[in-house]
Amino acid sequence: MTVAIIKTKAEQALATDFASRRSRLPGTAANAKMRSEAMAAFERAGLPHRRVEAWKYTDLRAALKEISPFAAGEVSDLSEADLQLALGAFASIAADRLVFVNGHYVPALSTSAPQINLFTLGEVLGSGGTLAPLSTDEAMVSLNGALVTDGAIIDIAAGATLTKPILVIAAATGAKPSLTALRHMIKLGAGAAATVIEVHVALDGALASQSNSVLEISTGDKARLTHFLIGLEGPAATHIQTIAATIGADATLNSFQLTVGTGLARNQAFVRFAGERSKLDISGLMLARGREHIDTTLVIDHAVPHCESRELFKTVLDDTARAVFQGKVIVRPDAQKTDGKQMAKALMLSEACEFDSKPELEIYADDVVCGHGATVAEIDPAMMFYLRSRGIPEDQARAMLIESFVGEALDKIDDEGLRELLSGIARDWLSKGHA
Amino acid sequence: MLEIKNLHAKIAENGTEILKGITLTVPKGEVHAIMGPNGSGKSTLAYVLAGRSDYEVTSGDILWNGESILELSPDERAAAGVFLAFQYPMEIPGVSTMTFLRTSVNATRKKRGQKEYSTPEFMKIARAAALHLGVKDDMLKRALNVGFSGGEKKRMEVLQMALLEPTLCVLDETDSGLDIDAIKIVSEGANKLRGPDKAMLVITHYQRLLNYITPDKVHVLAHGRIHKTGGKELALELEKTGYAEFTGKAA
Ligand SMILES: Nc1ncnc2c1ncn2[C@@H]1O[C@H](COP(=O)(O)OP(=O)(O)OP(=O)(O)O)[C@@H](O)[C@H]1O
Ligand SMILES: [Mg+2]
Repeated sequence: MTVAIIKTKAEQALATDFASRRSRLPGTAANAKMRSEAMAAFERAGLPHRRVEAWKYTDLRAALKEISPFAAGEVSDLSEADLQLALGAFASIAADRLVFVNGHYVPALSTSAPQINLFTLGEVLGSGGTLAPLSTDEAMVSLNGALVTDGAIIDIAAGATLTKPILVIAAATGAKPSLTALRHMIKLGAGAAATVIEVHVALDGALASQSNSVLEISTGDKARLTHFLIGLEGPAATHIQTIAATIGADATLNSFQLTVGTGLARNQAFVRFAGERSKLDISGLMLARGREHIDTTLVIDHAVPHCESRELFKTVLDDTARAVFQGKVIVRPDAQKTDGKQMAKALMLSEACEFDSKPELEIYADDVVCGHGATVAEIDPAMMFYLRSRGIPEDQARAMLIESFVGEALDKIDDEGLRELLSGIARDWLSKGHA
Repeated sequence: MLEIKNLHAKIAENGTEILKGITLTVPKGEVHAIMGPNGSGKSTLAYVLAGRSDYEVTSGDILWNGESILELSPDERAAAGVFLAFQYPMEIPGVSTMTFLRTSVNATRKKRGQKEYSTPEFMKIARAAALHLGVKDDMLKRALNVGFSGGEKKRMEVLQMALLEPTLCVLDETDSGLDIDAIKIVSEGANKLRGPDKAMLVITHYQRLLNYITPDKVHVLAHGRIHKTGGKELALELEKTGYAEFTGKAA
């Protein structure tokens, strides 16, 4: 096996870190072997860079000059009070909680008697279980496979309906920057229904946290999963997340993704319809200012007929911020009656921001309805004048128009309480801009 | 009293002059009508009164209650009592009509030094005013003007006018698109706003409206200037003769 020469300082640091800490990573000898193989795969590819088509607009090799030391085995002294503070509005929602701090499950901060048996990947690996590697050629997934320390395993029995959402929290703490690799799994048996809210936060003083997490989703036939991905790690953080989802027949998967003010975020999702007559909705908001960079990349694979997919992403950019939306929809030859729609809309509050949108339709079936669109707009001065002529001051009028712009995406959230909570986060972010 | 003094205004973007020296005085307690051919500058005048930045005033002045309002922003003018009922009201997707109305009224009240309404208080007031103007309850819940019919949009303008309690009302073709019943309701509303400390400019193409809102004076605006001023009988006369007299070469 030939291993390419590691080129950047960051890649070098990753290799050194892995070599020195591999023995402390959880798992059996079989797992250790898989980790080494995953690391080798990562090293062959290196950090994704702009000549890798899927990473054209988000060049990690250029952006990640420094890699933080890997947060393996670090004990956290995060208090409940500090966590509450970091969670903001999410602290008060009625949910079962699984809290991971710097890449490790912290039972003391988590719910003691959850509605279902919740496992952690750490437990599984610690008790001799193995972790099947994800089959993907994504370098960042390989890196996760090498470094993964822990994660939530949410396995919901067929027919079960959860009465409360499950809140999965990944918190970064400490003045020392750290790199974390979590891998979560959500599995819904046939007919099961659940809401899982994934919140990523960095505590005050957590500098330049770097996370590279993986989430596997599989929904059984007639199952219904509502998933939220909330990225609130702040302007110094790097957040890389890969979702790999498989949807059974007659199932519904809704995923709402809110990324607010994250230094560098890449949320990529690979979703495959494995059963007929299922529905997928992946929507969200990307809010960025300063030099922040948020990338949402989706690959929706209609492998079977009669499925419906919807994507609506709304982006608000200010200063020199940049956002990327890449949406690929594949309709396989058998996937007749596919109904796929995709829309990306950006609102630019400054002339120096940038929005890159790349829709891609790969359609091999003939009886399908597929569409995509992208718009980039500024605040409409005629609307501004109308509102101001009604006595509404400029800042307030602008905020109203931006809120109405993001509202279209937030309306995708069925649960009124959660919709209001997320709207509040968006409003807070918006009001910070034009103080 | 509204005093427009030799007002010149151009389109900011390309410099085209639209208002070419308008002089007009509306004393308090009076209603004046402005009529004139399409494209003569009536809406431009209305926009300039309300402070739209697409137009640049190059000379002249606008005084309301003796003070120039040219330096005031549109929201400051609203607080000072200026209200423009738009010829083409804007659709604002994603902003509920009720939220908009409350924000507008409370922002204005705040600037006028009046107490802001609580949400329940305001909802009561807005519902009562809406009922009176034949604005359906469900319209208050919908996004502002989005999908409203032409007449519904105009009624919404009049509802806003009633709630904002302006002292200087500019109605830009508010009657266009309204059915006969609505014209009566709107006129009734406008007549109610007539008062000793109020002034009103009514832009219209139809003499009919003036049967309901009797103007003290009628002005003919053509090519960016006031060409003729008369009493309410001038409107009747124009109905017969049209604007041929004014649409030739600018005098
Ligand atoms: N922002 C603008 N850009 C370009 N042209 C403009 C602009 N605003 C006004 N105009 C032009 O100025 C002229 C006057 O327009 P205005 O809307 O004031 O006419 P009006 O008298 O209200 O007409 P109508 O009776 O049709 O409503 C028209 O020729 C119009 O095309
Ligand atoms: Mg007009």
